[in-house]
Amino acid sequence: MSNCEAKSNEYEVLFEILQDRYGDRLSPEELEEVRKGVERIAETAKALRSVRLENSDELFSVFKPYRREE
Amino acid sequence: MARNPVFMPIRELSELIRTGQVSPMELTEIFLDRLENLGPRYNVVVTVTRERALRQASRAEGEIASGFYRGPLHGIPYGAKDLLATSGGIPTTWGAAPFRNQTFDYDATVIKKLEDAGAILAAKLAMIELAGGMGYRQPNASFTGPPRNPWNQRTWTGGSSSGSGAAVSAGLVPFAIGSETWGSILSPANNCGVAGLRPTYGRVSRYGAMALSWTLDKLGPLCLTADDCGLVLEAIAGADPNDPSTTDRPFKYDDRPRRRFRLAVLKDVTEGVDGEVCDNFERALKVLEQVATIEEIELPDLPYEAITRTILNAESASAFEDFIEGGRASELTAPEDRYGPYARTVVLAKDYLRALRLRGVMLKAVDEAMSPYDAVVAPTRRSVASPIDQEFRRAAPGTAGDIMGAVGNGAGLPSISVPSGFTDSGLPMGIQFMGRAYCENTIMAAARVYQSLTDWHQRHPLDLAPAK
Repeated sequence: MSNCEAKSNEYEVLFEILQDRYGDRLSPEELEEVRKGVERIAETAKALRSVRLENSDELFSVFKPYRREE
Repeated sequence: MARNPVFMPIRELSELIRTGQVSPMELTEIFLDRLENLGPRYNVVVTVTRERALRQASRAEGEIASGFYRGPLHGIPYGAKDLLATSGGIPTTWGAAPFRNQTFDYDATVIKKLEDAGAILAAKLAMIELAGGMGYRQPNASFTGPPRNPWNQRTWTGGSSSGSGAAVSAGLVPFAIGSETWGSILSPANNCGVAGLRPTYGRVSRYGAMALSWTLDKLGPLCLTADDCGLVLEAIAGADPNDPSTTDRPFKYDDRPRRRFRLAVLKDVTEGVDGEVCDNFERALKVLEQVATIEEIELPDLPYEAITRTILNAESASAFEDFIEGGRASELTAPEDRYGPYARTVVLAKDYLRALRLRGVMLKAVDEAMSPYDAVVAPTRRSVASPIDQEFRRAAPGTAGDIMGAVGNGAGLPSISVPSGFTDSGLPMGIQFMGRAYCENTIMAAARVYQSLTDWHQRHPLDLAPAK
């Protein structure tokens, strides 16, 4: 299986999860729109994954331990 | 009263108040009347907070009469986007039908800070439902109806701080507070022909504001002038223990004039932009050449839109997880908002984390590219206000992205939009000045100079301008 097919299948699977979870509350037309939304998310993820990151590239958000002021 | 205060900048209004030429009560009554009488015409007001406003105005009047003057916002009425918590039984609806009766028992930090500055809360202003976070594509996406543009009621105000832009534009309040996750202050500033400032992320506390995306949400002012934005920002900025993202860096508005600027324009920033907007931007650059050198720059090749979009999708799906899971999206006004959030629930954790890691790369790359310059300038929006009854992508087709919005919001950078002209059909257009982090004073100085060379900000919808 090519990388391309794998990526496409990944999002087919995700759409199936959505269909399974929420299919009963959405019309066929709305489900089709959800499918398009998942495709857009797939395209976005593809763009993100096209950039090489180094092991040292960490999240740009600082976690600080918390202690209530006494 | 010697002069009509409607469409008067805060700078001038406050002088009238300070010197006793107009009283806070008198001023508040004028704007309350406009909010009540003109607000419904534009669908831009959710709640007129008359009782609270008159109480605050009375207090301001007493304080000023006794010689206790709090500063330039003392006695000035304003409106707040209806995602800011307000106590006293005033609803905070988030623009969405499922929350139309929601109330809080506390005030958002911004509301408190404005009260401390002596400002008077006159109204909670309309907004796109849930700040547009469910994927709306049309103006009719609020339980209060499609917000109408004071310049042309058949066109849209922009969003999601729709009421905040329109209420200032229509002279219903001297200033308003809006919020921006991606475009929600600059877009209404552009469409409504007012000044809008998106501060640096963390400059203004988000405590008490509806969360759409914890690492993208910012609060900022919409005013008649760039100078007024500075006056308001000084009042609302500052560290807040209730919002750990707020910065300890102090902000003091510097209104001293600057003579020269070094500005940059992103390569291809006008590609795919509406023709009239493009021409207007060229004219604005010609004006700026009187006070600035302008160079073209190119940002490093990074997937800016994908980074910011992924963060927004993942965080908004999480912030509204219970709402989405509970099926309550079906109660929203815009049909696309009823199914829009579902796809976002399957953004993979690894992609969200990758976006956050890439954000770090983006922050450094963008800051380095911008460091020689005072600001990057661009058209605020790629198109003008779209028709009130059309999807905005259909009204402005094309493939142009929003690189300024993606970079500016993803990197948490400040930007100010001011009016830069009108289309042949009389719709406003804007120019934005985006700066490095924490450089609000620099971009406001550039915007002030631009406003000193033009008079676009002194024009107001003819049917709303008071008789001289």
